[in-house]
Amino acid sequence: MPTAVSSTEPVLARRRRRRPVGNAVRAVVDVGHLLRFRAGTVRHRGLSALGGLLLLGVSAAIAIVPAYVEGAGGPDEAFDVLVVLPTALAGFVVLAVVSAAASGGGRELIPRDPASVHPISPTTDHLGALLLAPLNIAWLIQAWALMGATAFAVGSDYVYQAQVVVALWLVAGTAFAQVLAWTLEGVRRVPHGIVGVRMLNVVVFGVALGLQLTDQMISVFDSLPTRWFVLGMIADDGGRWLASVGVVLAGALVLAVLGAVPAHIAAHRVPRDELHVESGQYASRPSPRSDLAAMVRTDRGSVWRAVPMRRGVAVLAIGPGVVAVLGNLQWGSMTILPGLVASGGALLYGVNAWCLDSRGTLWRESLPVSPRTVFDARALVLAEFLLVASLLTVAVAAIRAGVPSLPEVTALISTLLVVTVQVVGASMRWSFKRPYAVDLRSSRATPAPPSMMVAYSARLALSTTVTGLFFSALSQADDWSLSLLIAVAMLSWSGIRLLRVRRLWEDPTERARVVTTVAVA
Amino acid sequence: MNDRPPIVDVRGLHVRFGEVEAVAGVDLVAHAGQSSALLGRNGAGKSTTMRVLAGVVPATAGTVIVAGHDVRHEPLMAKRAVGYCPDVGGLVPRATPWEHLQLTARLRRLREWEDRARDLLERFELGDVAHRVTAGFSHGMGRRLSVVLAALHEPEVLLLDEPFDGVDPIGVEATLEVVSDARARGACVLVSTHLRELAVEACTTVSVLRGGSRVATMASTEMLGEEGARAYRGLLD
Repeated sequence: MPTAVSSTEPVLARRRRRRPVGNAVRAVVDVGHLLRFRAGTVRHRGLSALGGLLLLGVSAAIAIVPAYVEGAGGPDEAFDVLVVLPTALAGFVVLAVVSAAASGGGRELIPRDPASVHPISPTTDHLGALLLAPLNIAWLIQAWALMGATAFAVGSDYVYQAQVVVALWLVAGTAFAQVLAWTLEGVRRVPHGIVGVRMLNVVVFGVALGLQLTDQMISVFDSLPTRWFVLGMIADDGGRWLASVGVVLAGALVLAVLGAVPAHIAAHRVPRDELHVESGQYASRPSPRSDLAAMVRTDRGSVWRAVPMRRGVAVLAIGPGVVAVLGNLQWGSMTILPGLVASGGALLYGVNAWCLDSRGTLWRESLPVSPRTVFDARALVLAEFLLVASLLTVAVAAIRAGVPSLPEVTALISTLLVVTVQVVGASMRWSFKRPYAVDLRSSRATPAPPSMMVAYSARLALSTTVTGLFFSALSQADDWSLSLLIAVAMLSWSGIRLLRVRRLWEDPTERARVVTTVAVA
Repeated sequence: MNDRPPIVDVRGLHVRFGEVEAVAGVDLVAHAGQSSALLGRNGAGKSTTMRVLAGVVPATAGTVIVAGHDVRHEPLMAKRAVGYCPDVGGLVPRATPWEHLQLTARLRRLREWEDRARDLLERFELGDVAHRVTAGFSHGMGRRLSVVLAALHEPEVLLLDEPFDGVDPIGVEATLEVVSDARARGACVLVSTHLRELAVEACTTVSVLRGGSRVATMASTEMLGEEGARAYRGLLD
């Protein structure tokens, strides 16, 4: 998002270096301007405000209510939760790092192209990404889990003082993730940097796997410095609690400021993966044999040549699988994975599927091809994209899971099929109902505005998690065919809903609304 | 006057987007072998009219006949007869020019199209980038490729919306050549542009749109020179 380096940059840079405080203040003020601009473009402000309030209400409830349930703060289950809190604090940071790094330094307050005409500094860009980080369902669920677990573990006597530490930890963890993500982005942009980052990922995974296989993972968790903060949460001594708060607060502030440095470095380097896609040669292939094959081929190119999709699907396909391997996830629980991955995959572009063609939509719409074929191709490519990611995840997760029983296999296959059709149906419905003009060139681009992304991800996560849990229960049944029978019923229902969207797409007036909206990207 | 039935016949065209009436009663007739320019200010309804003719946007009211096909009732037949260069972008960002050409050739059932495609790419100086994705193209390169895509199948109706916008002199020359070739083989060409002088050079007749309606149609020679510029300005105000 920051503007390109101009010929006067060295002079400006020298002048700016002389006034670091003034520049920082200006960057913060600019974030306010951009936030107001962004808020002004929200279509349904009342609804968005209500959604925001709901989010805050849910967060407050999760942070407080578990402290008052039976057993909270007690010596049994609550103590067990307290013991794993240091690991949970560290786990949140790991997830925040993965999320920020996968999106090339975090989300943009203003998309790159429209922002390029404004003097937006990398510091403003960094602070904007920091603010948008919580508008991500993975971040929210992790944060809610941490707050809820803390409330239950510490009980009503300590809940308020503990949640202050947790809230600050969320800020500090996100800021740390941002520093690391910008640094990795900076490395990716030097010659051979992409290979270097990939090798680093392999090394990190190898170390984690090694620790797990040699049963040293728990001792590593036990030695985490996060224990000190957990002890601070439940300290009766006000000074000890204040020390914890002070350290996390200072850490959050330092990390937030520090993030501007790698953000500046990354901004002054060329994004190599985008450049590679745009300047690379793609050999011609024989002509496709049918209209559908031709449309599918074009859509596949649009998906697999997009940097955010490639990077996102790699993280989605490998990440949950790796966590499953490290956590020794069994076949019966593996049904939760396809829903998680399919939801994440849909959020890469599926929820606004017609934006793939961007400005080419007008030309494509002028081609003599049935709207049904166009719709089918788009839905098929999305289904294929989600299935590939889900299958890869399951394949990775299966490494340590042993041999599954027949009911477990059928339950997993059923889940794969059902959640894929569910997610494709929901995505095509939303794409038709609320199209957005989006250019998916940048690795930081999202297919819809941040508030809509939260709403979409929450709905997807809810429906696919319920489906996953349902089939997890069925995997324990004696009759292997039960899962398949229920899957057929669920597939029929989702299929009917998908066909209903296809019928709506065939209406030329409605199609024109979608086409003209996405074509102005 | 031309006694042959028109290739493009638009009667009482209205297009509304919610509260906005983009086209408010346009009548337009264009014949085979004729090239017509649509001139007018921003928001005059030129591009919307072109989109209706291309079958991209449906008319709210009125009849639109393209190459003998009612666009409302026979959209695929009308689309087969049309080659359309849209005003914005017009290219799938992560597809190469050759893939664009392959797609249009497949959907239009073209045979032995490759030589003509290569020739057009060379004429528009796009031969070197035929296998690069269009996301990295400059605006002018994108415009030139859009004209190539519209012209590949030698359509009965060639619709060029702002084909000269940001295009270098070689591209302009190649576009004028495409228009001239189309007319010579009996196609009907409609060019929407802001550039009066190029419209005069490319077309035989000129229609001026204002506020979503057609206010004048005249021979392009009447738009020539200083006098033509004054006449044009008079029609815009």
